[in-house]
Amino acid sequence: MRRVAGVSMIVAAAVLLLRVCPPAAVSAAGSPQEAPAEQNLAIIVNQSNPVDNLSLQELRTVFRGERSHWPNGRRITLVMMEPGFRERKTVLREIYHMNESDFSHHFMQGLFTGEVFVSPKTLASPEGVRKFVFNVPGAIGYVRAADVDDTVKVIRVEGHLPEDRDYSLRIQPGK
Amino acid sequence: MKDRISRGARSGTINPALLIDRFLHEVSRYSTALLLLMVFCVETGVVIFVIRDLRAADREVQRIYAGSVLGLRGIGELQYQAQETRRSTLYALTTNDSNLQVAYADQSRAADRRVTEGINDYLAHARMQREIDVGKRLQRDWSAYLKVRDEVLASILEGSTKEAVDFDLNGGVPSFDRVRQDLEEVKRLYDEQASQRLAIVDESSRRSAIRLLGVLCFTLLFVSVSVWAIQKSRMLSALKLAKLQMDFVASVSHELRTPLAVISAAAQNIADGVVDEKEQLAKYGGVIRSHTRQLNELVNQILSFASTKAGRAHYFLRPLQVSRLIDTVLHNTREVVKEAGFVVEALVEPGLPDIVGDLSALSQCLQNLIGNAVKYGGTHTRISLRAFQHKADDSPFEEIRISVEDHGIGIDSSDLPHIFEPFYRSPVVAAAQIHGTGLGLPLARSIAEAMGGKLSVVSKLGVGSVFTLHLPITAKGDRETATLTPDSFIRQ
Repeated sequence: MRRVAGVSMIVAAAVLLLRVCPPAAVSAAGSPQEAPAEQNLAIIVNQSNPVDNLSLQELRTVFRGERSHWPNGRRITLVMMEPGFRERKTVLREIYHMNESDFSHHFMQGLFTGEVFVSPKTLASPEGVRKFVFNVPGAIGYVRAADVDDTVKVIRVEGHLPEDRDYSLRIQPGK
Repeated sequence: MKDRISRGARSGTINPALLIDRFLHEVSRYSTALLLLMVFCVETGVVIFVIRDLRAADREVQRIYAGSVLGLRGIGELQYQAQETRRSTLYALTTNDSNLQVAYADQSRAADRRVTEGINDYLAHARMQREIDVGKRLQRDWSAYLKVRDEVLASILEGSTKEAVDFDLNGGVPSFDRVRQDLEEVKRLYDEQASQRLAIVDESSRRSAIRLLGVLCFTLLFVSVSVWAIQKSRMLSALKLAKLQMDFVASVSHELRTPLAVISAAAQNIADGVVDEKEQLAKYGGVIRSHTRQLNELVNQILSFASTKAGRAHYFLRPLQVSRLIDTVLHNTREVVKEAGFVVEALVEPGLPDIVGDLSALSQCLQNLIGNAVKYGGTHTRISLRAFQHKADDSPFEEIRISVEDHGIGIDSSDLPHIFEPFYRSPVVAAAQIHGTGLGLPLARSIAEAMGGKLSVVSKLGVGSVFTLHLPITAKGDRETATLTPDSFIRQ
């Protein structure tokens, strides 16, 4: 009787595990698969911004505050999300190649020395980021591709949009 | 001959006095009903006028409410939302928190959307050129302000407070002032329209009040005239009746006095021995008998009239041969006819069915008609008495008609409506000193109606008259007793 109950519990646990972790997200070896396009990070600018494409290097220059104006003369305003968001972690990892501590140190030192021209604005939600970018012609920020709407413009990175296969800014799941 | 008389009577000229007389007669007859009808009609007219004016005023007020009150409310809302747009923008200056600044920007944009929608709505409903012009100017100025506002918001969010303040002072304040002036202009337009519409309502109310007053005055006048006409007609009727009664008394007195004087003189002569020869005595006796009979007939006629007036006349109805009735009438009138030198030509259609009636009453009726034919027969001394069966066009039943036709002075068309009224005597016959009581024809008609029939007349002045007694043909054996009511006279 006890053996039957034990087998039943194991089967139930297996079913629960399958429901929580769909098969598509788990490879046969248990390693993470390629994330869907909606999970990619979109770099957004104001609709009036003439820039459509940036290389990863240019993007890094802009986000590190080492460039002050867009080609149309508008002052660049950096928009970051608050620490803890996976979008922010992705940006720090993929664009800045820094952790939080390095990031803070970079801007404190850069602003002091004059090497950094732009101090980033910090917002608490993807919606806030989107609205900020919508309101400020020179703003640049980032949100998940799923959070993008037509109030802002998504720029290409290395010629790729978030829905493209070769898009490089991917949000790592579970981190 | 009859047709000729009938045509003559129908083609008589219209007499205005006769028309007024008839009108007053009808007014007198249906006075209360007419007054009520008139008052009802006039009051209905008043109510219709009042309801129409009230509805017009109500529509105007609704237009004012929809056009001006709601419009002013809309403009008030526009002013508030415009202020809210600017206020929210300036609130963003008060904080360094980007999240709060974004929230204020959001509020500002939501308010500006409401203003834009309000302006579009105003333009969509604008009809006057001034409204359209002001609306377009407002739209233009609002767009200009929004451009400045966007720059101010961008500067605030970028953290450039000084730049934002500069933008607002140099561009925002003047452009927002223009918007405010435009909104004031729109408000003024609404005020003007409201004033104009209020003036329309005032005018409408004033017009309604004047109309109402006019209609009420007219009603009052109308009712007064109606009451006056009714009272006048009643008074005239009463005066006429009094005059008729006075004439009747005078006529009866005269009718009584003449034979009485003759009888008295004859009796005096006999008593005084002035007359002693047998032939003369016989002649005097004949005179006394003749005048006594005349007196007797007069008294009987008055008593019959009095009894019918009091509702005490009783008739014994029974099947009656028309020929027997004619014979009785001829027998009873032979002396009168003979003395006057007249001849009655009786013509009875053979095989006539029996009628139902009181022999004595019907005989009295026809005697009165023959008596009138003798009295008013003039120089033409031939009287036709005809009895025949006839079916009228307007009745499914056949009837017996007994007509008495003379070729005498005839009856004026103005007198025809009155000849069956008690005591009525035509001014023409009164002037001609033709004696009578004015009761013969009313009595004849009463008898005819009591027998279920009627009495009609066709006459033309100077040509003659035809009086026709219409009697229904009833199944044999019907016997009943009819009572003549006073209404028989009243309903003439």
